[in-house]
Amino acid sequence: MKNILFILLLFTLKNYAQQIPIAELETTDGETISTEVISQIKDKPVVVVFWATWCIPCLTELSAINESFETWKEKYQFDLLAIAVDDDRTAKKIPSLLAGKEWPFKVLLDTNQDFKRKLNINSIPYLIVVKNGKIIFKKTGFVKGDELKIEKAIADNQ
Amino acid sequence: MKKIIYLLMLFNTIHVSYAQLSGSFESYGAWYIDDSKIKLEPTETEDRLRGNSYLKLEYRYNNFDVGIQVESYESKALLNYNPKFEGTKPGAFYLNYTNSKNTLAITVGHFYEKFGNGLALRTWEDKPLGIENSLVGGRIKYKPWKALELTSIFGKQRNGFATDLSESTLFGFNSDFKISNILKSKSSNYGVGFSFVNKHEKEVDVPSDVYLISSRAFFKRKEFSFDIEYVFKSKDALVEFEEVKPEFLFDGDALLINLGYAKKGFGINANLRRTENFGFYSERKLSRNSFNQGLLNYIPSITKQFDYSLTNIYVYQSQPNIRFEPDGNKAGEIGGQIDVFYNFKKGSVIGGKNGLNVAINSSLWHGLKGRYDDNQTKYEADFLGFGQKFYTDYSVEIRKNISKKWTSIVTFLQQYYNSKYVEETFGEVNTTTLVWDNLYNFSGSKTLKVELQHQWADANFKNWIAGLVEYNFNSNWSVFNNNLYNYGNSNSEKKINYYSLGTTYSKSATRVQLSYGRQRGGLVCIGGVCRFVPESSGLTLNVNYSF
Repeated sequence: MKNILFILLLFTLKNYAQQIPIAELETTDGETISTEVISQIKDKPVVVVFWATWCIPCLTELSAINESFETWKEKYQFDLLAIAVDDDRTAKKIPSLLAGKEWPFKVLLDTNQDFKRKLNINSIPYLIVVKNGKIIFKKTGFVKGDELKIEKAIADNQ
Repeated sequence: MKKIIYLLMLFNTIHVSYAQLSGSFESYGAWYIDDSKIKLEPTETEDRLRGNSYLKLEYRYNNFDVGIQVESYESKALLNYNPKFEGTKPGAFYLNYTNSKNTLAITVGHFYEKFGNGLALRTWEDKPLGIENSLVGGRIKYKPWKALELTSIFGKQRNGFATDLSESTLFGFNSDFKISNILKSKSSNYGVGFSFVNKHEKEVDVPSDVYLISSRAFFKRKEFSFDIEYVFKSKDALVEFEEVKPEFLFDGDALLINLGYAKKGFGINANLRRTENFGFYSERKLSRNSFNQGLLNYIPSITKQFDYSLTNIYVYQSQPNIRFEPDGNKAGEIGGQIDVFYNFKKGSVIGGKNGLNVAINSSLWHGLKGRYDDNQTKYEADFLGFGQKFYTDYSVEIRKNISKKWTSIVTFLQQYYNSKYVEETFGEVNTTTLVWDNLYNFSGSKTLKVELQHQWADANFKNWIAGLVEYNFNSNWSVFNNNLYNYGNSNSEKKINYYSLGTTYSKSATRVQLSYGRQRGGLVCIGGVCRFVPESSGLTLNVNYSF
């Protein structure tokens, strides 16, 4: 009985729209930036994608987003941030990888995974959509074709 | 359990718009079942049903966060985890305060921290590897100006559950100064950093205090970037097989250099590192322990991190420590890796209609060249000398969207792996691995993934063949069948097909995976840190949920 009550209570908590926690991220230029910048973007959705250079499904997700990015930009008002959770083993190669990929979106680094931990993310790829500082959409994993779901989350929150 | 339920009910009741409750639940369960080829060790058979579970709750109220993580290893932890992980207890708790301007942050309780590149200090967690080396104590982060960040820490390292602490006490200070920010430079970014970490651990006849001093700098201008960090470690006693040897004291150091060039369509990056006697543990006796307990700094192997099963059989592990062994002396490592990324544009001869992406990587690692005397337990290493070869690899990865529906990735990898020095076993292996990974999207999220792999190896496990088929019915449900067959093994008993069949459900922030099959034994490595797992067979259930 206790266990059932516990699980029920746990699942009732998902109805709260979580706010973006404060953490420090780095730009690829070495500048420090607070996650407050995500909350400060008003009245349009911000897509935040958690990825890493070694994660094949993450690269597939970002490549799929890249393919649709220009079309989405023409149709909707939104921002997109790709947060790399690579630690110091692989983080230094990110600028070179980005150049080789020619992705048009902004990439930030979370090298000690503080932001990932504060959002309780256990595995990547992981994607959230934020509007006015609140998380309104969450998605774990990526399957080719899921970019349509991401587009819908952007379109529904214009 | 009762207390947690009351706590949840209380949070639920008083939940108001300016307060937030968040958390996660993670569980990795296994029911070990013997089959014709794979059986549990007799010492493990009493507990066949096991699980590692973690419940984290965090409550945010204005500028405060308070959190707790409860951990459960019932009836026992999964195979080959640290035996200290047993039962159900709180694993961590913390209270954070951050001021409204985000210039001051104070933490009391468990926390994770990293100074610079992590060479002087990094505490982190990695549940699949059983790493949980947070610090317990206090931390203050202060930013007097946007360009300057100061951090001070004091505490002990977690070594087991929340209140199982290391015998040593740690003090650390870190500063990062972005000079270009103060000088308002628009064309370049540059800055410096400095860290000091002191470990106080009482022991007879050896220095009670061991300290690390780190100095570093970075410079970035247009396409070019340069980073350097040098860390000195003061004298500490040699530890061999958990025995502290006070008569043999050695200091150590580490040098890390990164050079990068990135312009649209092309990027190249070189990462070089030399370490000498640089392992740093919260207790001397934990030096080089197989459970990765007590790690205080981060010395990952600087090689490409692969995501395919056969490319992860011979994974290089960094060798920063001293070992005296006739015909196997070592005192550190020297080497590096180079990455090249290139995009063949859409419409070009090679790029074709959809473009083509290439990633090339090569790494080379040697022991430190020097004069070793294992009879007298002393050595003298050259600063830039390449000694015994530990590891080399060359890899090429080509990613191509063949059509809008079909993506194909081909990976070629050639490795040399010196087991004698890297694993401290015997022999050496040369391998060639080929991977062909295909994703085909039918419509919506109906996707088929077919992955074919082969590894040719001249020793150790010898040849492998592997295949994965995964079908996604939609973005929620998928089924998979994975096979790794060690058909080339010289021992016919070891010619095993490690198969697994399973299904995954994922929706929003929930992911559940159920599978049945065999787990290959050997090193499981994440981020260049490895844990040995014995082979096993049975049913596994993994649950991830966050809110």
